[in-house]
Amino acid sequence: MNKHITEILDNTSLANLSENELTEIHAHVVDCASCGKAYDAARMSAAVLKSRTQAVIEPSPFFQTRVMAALREQQAAESVPAMLRLWRSAKAVVATMAVTTAALAVVSFVAPAESTPATDQTTSVYSAYSVIMDQPADEQMTYEQVLSTIYEDDDEAR
Amino acid sequence: MDLARQAQAGDESAFAEIVRRYSPRVFRVASRFFRQRSLVEEAAQEVFLKAYTQLGSFEGRGSIEGWLTRIATNTCLNMLRSAKRRPEFTVSDLSDDEQNWLEQQSGTDGSKQPSVENSVVATDLADRVLSVLSPEDQQALLMIDGEDASIKEVAEATGWSESKVKVRAFRARRKVREAMEKLLGRGSK
Repeated sequence: MNKHITEILDNTSLANLSENELTEIHAHVVDCASCGKAYDAARMSAAVLKSRTQAVIEPSPFFQTRVMAALREQQAAESVPAMLRLWRSAKAVVATMAVTTAALAVVSFVAPAESTPATDQTTSVYSAYSVIMDQPADEQMTYEQVLSTIYEDDDEAR
Repeated sequence: MDLARQAQAGDESAFAEIVRRYSPRVFRVASRFFRQRSLVEEAAQEVFLKAYTQLGSFEGRGSIEGWLTRIATNTCLNMLRSAKRRPEFTVSDLSDDEQNWLEQQSGTDGSKQPSVENSVVATDLADRVLSVLSPEDQQALLMIDGEDASIKEVAEATGWSESKVKVRAFRARRKVREAMEKLLGRGSK
C-alpha cells in the first residue's frame, strides 16, 4: 500500500481502472498528500477531456454543396491542356534561352563585322604587299623614271 | 461499398452522397483538433477533396468510414503541424468560472453531465492543459480518455502501431495530469 499510485493513474484512463486498482488508489491517497493531489488532477483532467470531446461542430446544410463546388473548381483547374501548363511552367526557361541566343548572335555577327576594317587597315599598313602595291598612284615611279634615275646616278659617279 | 465503386467509376452523385453521409463523422474528427467552425470546415473540405483524388486507392477491404477517418486524422495532424506555432501552456490564474467548475467537479465522481455554460469552461480548461502536448499525443489522449476508444481503434485511425499508441497515451496522460496539478495549485492559493 506504500507504493505511489501515479503510475496506475498514467497507465490507463480512469474509466478503465479495475476495482482492485481503485481500491488501491483510495487506500493510498488517505495517507499520501502528493498522490492525493495527483488523483484529483487526474479526475479533473478526465472530466475536461470528456467535455472537450463533446464539443463537436456539426456540418452546415451547405457543406455538401460547398465541397462539390470546390471539387468542380479543382477539376476545371486540372483540365487546362497539358501543353499550356507546360508552357506556363517553362516560360521563364524559354525566355532566358531566347535572350541568350540573341546575345550570342550579336557577339557572333555584328561585333566581328565592326572589327574587320581595323584588321584590314593593319594589314595594309604593315604587309610587304601593301608597301609595294598600295602606294598612291601619283607617288609611284614609272619604269622609264626608274631607268633614268639609275643612269643619272651612274653619270654623276663618273 | 457500392457508393465507393460508383464514385470510383466517376459518378459524381455517388461521391456527393458519400460527402452527405460521412461529413458528420469527418466533422467529429476535425472537432477534436479545432474549435473554430471555419477551421473544422476547412479541414473537412480538404479531407473530401483528398478522398476524391485517392478513391482509386480505396480497395474496399475496410469501411468507407474508417478510410475517411484515417484521411481526416492525417489531414488535421498535417494542418496542425504546418501551423506556425501552438499556443503555449500558461499557468495563469484561474478565472472565477474555472475555479467554480473545478470546485463543483471535486465533489462529484465526474460522471454528471455539465451544463452548456460549464461545458464551455471545461473545454477552455481542456485546451489549456492539452496545449502541453504534441498534436499526435492530443489525438491519442482525446480518443482514449475522451471518447473511450480502444488502443486498437486509435491505431486503426492513425496508422500507428498499438505499442506507439500506448506510449503516446501514457506520456500524454502524465503531462496533462501534471499541468492540471499546476492549475489546481494556482487555484487553491
